[in-house]
Amino acid sequence: MELSPKVEFLGLSFDVPVMIGTVFTAIVVLLLTVLATRNPKMRPGGLQNLVEMLLDFVRGILNISFDSKTAEKYLGFALTLFLFIFIANQLGVMLMVTTEVHHPIPSLGITGDDLEESHAAVWFKSPTADLNVTVVMAVAISLFAHFMGIFRDAKGYFSHYMQPNPLMFPIHLVDEIAKPTTHALRLWANIFAGEVLITIMITYGNPLTTGAPLLVWLGYSLFVGTIQAYVFTVLASVYIAQKTVQDH
Amino acid sequence: MTTIAAALMIAFAAIAGGIGNSVVFSKYLEGIARQPEARGTLFGQMFIGIGLVEAVPIISVAFGILVLLGVFGG
Repeated sequence: MELSPKVEFLGLSFDVPVMIGTVFTAIVVLLLTVLATRNPKMRPGGLQNLVEMLLDFVRGILNISFDSKTAEKYLGFALTLFLFIFIANQLGVMLMVTTEVHHPIPSLGITGDDLEESHAAVWFKSPTADLNVTVVMAVAISLFAHFMGIFRDAKGYFSHYMQPNPLMFPIHLVDEIAKPTTHALRLWANIFAGEVLITIMITYGNPLTTGAPLLVWLGYSLFVGTIQAYVFTVLASVYIAQKTVQDH
Repeated sequence: MTTIAAALMIAFAAIAGGIGNSVVFSKYLEGIARQPEARGTLFGQMFIGIGLVEAVPIISVAFGILVLLGVFGG
């Protein structure tokens, strides 16, 4: 496998390709939305058309679990989430930035032992192929849902754990822990497995044997990236709706 | 030993994913055979279902790869 540069800060180890990937994805999302909405026209064309389609698509996702008035409140959040994950997934498939390393660089965490394994250092990775990024997103959504539930109706929120009887409390607790865990693992595992397979086919394969499977897998990765961005956004809105919508 | 462990994880994930996806897809086909006009709605719902079902095997595959790379279980 390629080496991935790391920096130590306050005793924590930060993965450089993931940080570059996160910032790059955020810039792409920002440019896309800002450029599309700077000069809105009554008859949309080009980029504005695309973003309006995306907006309607995300509105459709939110309408699954919210009424249309509440859906408008979460529209910005859900659109940001969807665009970030979608673009991050696709960039990971399309971009591969590697450089050659021949000397140990201690400040980037590349030691002599690592260099015996590989000489390629990777500088861009899909942020969603890193477990830390997806766990942060899933836990933040889960915490947001819980806080919204408590603010909205604290009594109803806590009594929900005792429904239909107090014996169910442990099961509710496991459910609340399992939700963010699977939410994060689902996105990460799909993108990570895809990227590792692409890397293996490029590194160890040759065009005759792995060329055709690589092409098929690249196409399938684009599809998986879209589906997972969709599923992540749907589940985020469902988890928030479970805690905030009263009549269920 | 780690190689065998990783191979087993990925192989069982493939079996489980195949069975799970086939159940979702066959129910979708049954649904549109019974009610062809529901195709549009069922299509989106099916892909959510496949995305959810696919998750558990793919988590196993990802951990299998991590075992193979020696991240843990060495």
